[in-house]
Amino acid sequence: MKNELKINVSLLGQLKLASIIEAATLALLVCVAVPLKHLWDWPIGVRAMGPVHGLAFIFYGWALLQTAGAGIWQRHHIALLAASAFVPFAGLLASRYIRRRIEALDRECSAT
Amino acid sequence: MFCDMNFADYCIWLKAAHVAAALLFVGGVVATSLTLALLPTMPGDSAPFVTGMRRYDRWVTVPAIIVVWLFGTGLAVSGAWFGQGWLSAKLGFVVLLSGLHGVQSGRLRRIEAGASPAMSRSLPFVLFAAIAIAVLAVAKP
Repeated sequence: MKNELKINVSLLGQLKLASIIEAATLALLVCVAVPLKHLWDWPIGVRAMGPVHGLAFIFYGWALLQTAGAGIWQRHHIALLAASAFVPFAGLLASRYIRRRIEALDRECSAT
Repeated sequence: MFCDMNFADYCIWLKAAHVAAALLFVGGVVATSLTLALLPTMPGDSAPFVTGMRRYDRWVTVPAIIVVWLFGTGLAVSGAWFGQGWLSAKLGFVVLLSGLHGVQSGRLRRIEAGASPAMSRSLPFVLFAAIAIAVLAVAKP
């Protein structure tokens, strides 16, 4: 039981990191690179940030599915966390939500 | 673009590393699919086997996925292939395989921690996806 809790905490730590990276790259893409392209006709930012955000998105999706496979979340949690990847800055809320889950598991782990 | 011009030799090595990593990635997903499919039927203690599979997944399959995505993205950007039909279809299969690997990796961890294994039938999809990816990458239809 304690072993399973520890594994879940480590998977959630990875998911939290992925959600922060995903949120940061999406914010940079939407708030910096896209305006630079359309307002100042400078497309290099989008060309660079597009693939970087794509990789961050894949990492987040993979980490989320790993926690789903480990049975940490219920389906509606998975749907919400997946949806957060499509909305700018929602990833930051997701990372706070994941952190709270980690803290709850930590408390459970120290109680057992 | 620059794949066809000045950096042709460099791109061949990038492609070679991408294909090698893809082989290791698909091999790892096939092995994990077989493990998850056969675990419920295994007699006796399967914990050491699951631990071994987890270690292989962590040290071989996961790094292979990272190399596949990094080098694949680099090749697609340098070849200006994003938006072409064959690459979009191939990307779809690779995303599904990567997602499946995420789920399988989580399940393996759970089983290693003591949960009982549930029957999984993902192998036919993995084999179909591997064939589709190879055809799309080589023939570029």
